[in-house]
Amino acid sequence: MIFAQNAIDAVSLGAVYALAALGIGLIFSVMRLINFAHGELIMAGGFTLYGLVAQPLLVVILAVLIVTAVLALGMERIAFRPLRKANPATLLISSFAVSYLVQHIVLMIFGSRAMGVPFLPELGTSVEFLGLRVPRLQIVTIITTLVLMAGLVAFFRFSRIGLQMRAAAEDFTMARAVGVRANRVIAFAFAISGILASMVSFYLVAQTGSVSYKMGVNMVLIAFVSSVIGGMGSVAGAALGGFLVGIISVSLQAYLPADLRPYRDAFVFMIFVLFLFWRPDGLLMSRADRDRV
Amino acid sequence: MLKVVDLNVAYGSIAAVRGVSFDIAQGEIVAVIGPNGAGKSSLLLAIAGLIKPRSGSIEFAGKNIASKQAEILVSEGVSLVPEGRHIFGSLTVAENLALGATVRRDWPGIASDIERVLAMFPVLKERYRQRANKLSGGEQQMLAIGRAMLARPRLLLLDEPSLGLAPLVVNQVYQAILDLRQSGVTVLVVEQNVSRALAAADRTHVLSFGAIAMSGKSTELAGTAAFDAAYFGVSREAGRA
Repeated sequence: MIFAQNAIDAVSLGAVYALAALGIGLIFSVMRLINFAHGELIMAGGFTLYGLVAQPLLVVILAVLIVTAVLALGMERIAFRPLRKANPATLLISSFAVSYLVQHIVLMIFGSRAMGVPFLPELGTSVEFLGLRVPRLQIVTIITTLVLMAGLVAFFRFSRIGLQMRAAAEDFTMARAVGVRANRVIAFAFAISGILASMVSFYLVAQTGSVSYKMGVNMVLIAFVSSVIGGMGSVAGAALGGFLVGIISVSLQAYLPADLRPYRDAFVFMIFVLFLFWRPDGLLMSRADRDRV
Repeated sequence: MLKVVDLNVAYGSIAAVRGVSFDIAQGEIVAVIGPNGAGKSSLLLAIAGLIKPRSGSIEFAGKNIASKQAEILVSEGVSLVPEGRHIFGSLTVAENLALGATVRRDWPGIASDIERVLAMFPVLKERYRQRANKLSGGEQQMLAIGRAMLARPRLLLLDEPSLGLAPLVVNQVYQAILDLRQSGVTVLVVEQNVSRALAAADRTHVLSFGAIAMSGKSTELAGTAAFDAAYFGVSREAGRA
């Protein structure tokens, strides 16, 4: 029974990490950029929620989606497009710059203290289910993630632009040579990463009941780790890595001796290091990268 | 159809193409041959819009295209079959062909062109739903040509289409090139395989150290001492001595 409870915890946390990792992995797959400013998309979604929490739920959801997607597109346009031909390290530095810039703008306006947001407090209650008490938030998280991932899979498989994105992820130059518009594909990737980030915003705000200018930082680190474990450049790998890291974190939380639990993350990252000795390219290394080696 | 005037391509301070000029008439097959590093690929990539020429003009169907991006040029009728084929290995044959038609929206026309490619290369039909990286080298070359055909090019650029392929497969690839010309496509092919190129092309240019060393009708070039001198840098007699 306790195991089943832990398993549900693990899957729901894994789902959130997977959404965050997908946002990182998707951008990396099309333009070899590790977008550390992804955390600020999550944070911006959180602050939009903070501002609009009194509005009808549908309005709030749409507004958060739009803000994160537009901010993602804006980042691409201002900070990454002019550097597209630069080397990956330059793009990485640019993403750090954007991350700090957005954080400090928010810090300037709202201050450094976390602010409470009463977003759907009823999600904190639990439902009884086969003798298990499952928080509603976890149920909503798991269902939302599954629906979103199914939607993404369908998008990549069946839509024209999805196919173009897969081609661009494998061989960007050749994709251009068949007529794929680089700007269009990259803008789409950023818009999707913004939408994925907004889902994480909803989760974090509902879970912690607060927002702060640093709320995205930890998540983006975990998302980065997850996408490396899954295999940089592989979108499916990023999702898989996210689930894996979530499961490992919850397992450690549940089964570590009580006096070691505060250091859970140290163990998570140690496992991560050991894993990389075993598989330096992650679980699902992208085919394109393997061909290049 | 295509008119290249005084084209220069350079990577940093290293010149790859130096003052190359030539033209191609509608429906012609023109070959550019030359040894490794002669600048053949650079010339082709510049025409395809994938590298920016340092100077010179490239006129296609009356318009200067020297500064246009590759993705725009495809929709204007210039398609590239690159060296090493560059098929999308993680995608299926069907998806690779669909990507070839990225710039088109005439769905019935696309469907009939896919049928045409599959009729030309029946092996692709057998492997239609398979991932392209499961294909042999020859099949990948056929797929790369089929993908380029799906853009309905007016000018097809082929970079070393015979590279690494068995002679029988090379026959098939060159038969496809001749068929395409029959249907009105103009072809510019870059080759190291001199005999293949000379056999297929109406006119041939020999590129050496980035410049055109010799040009002429393919039938007149083959086997002459001057041709050997241009291609190998020595004449056959000097080589024997």
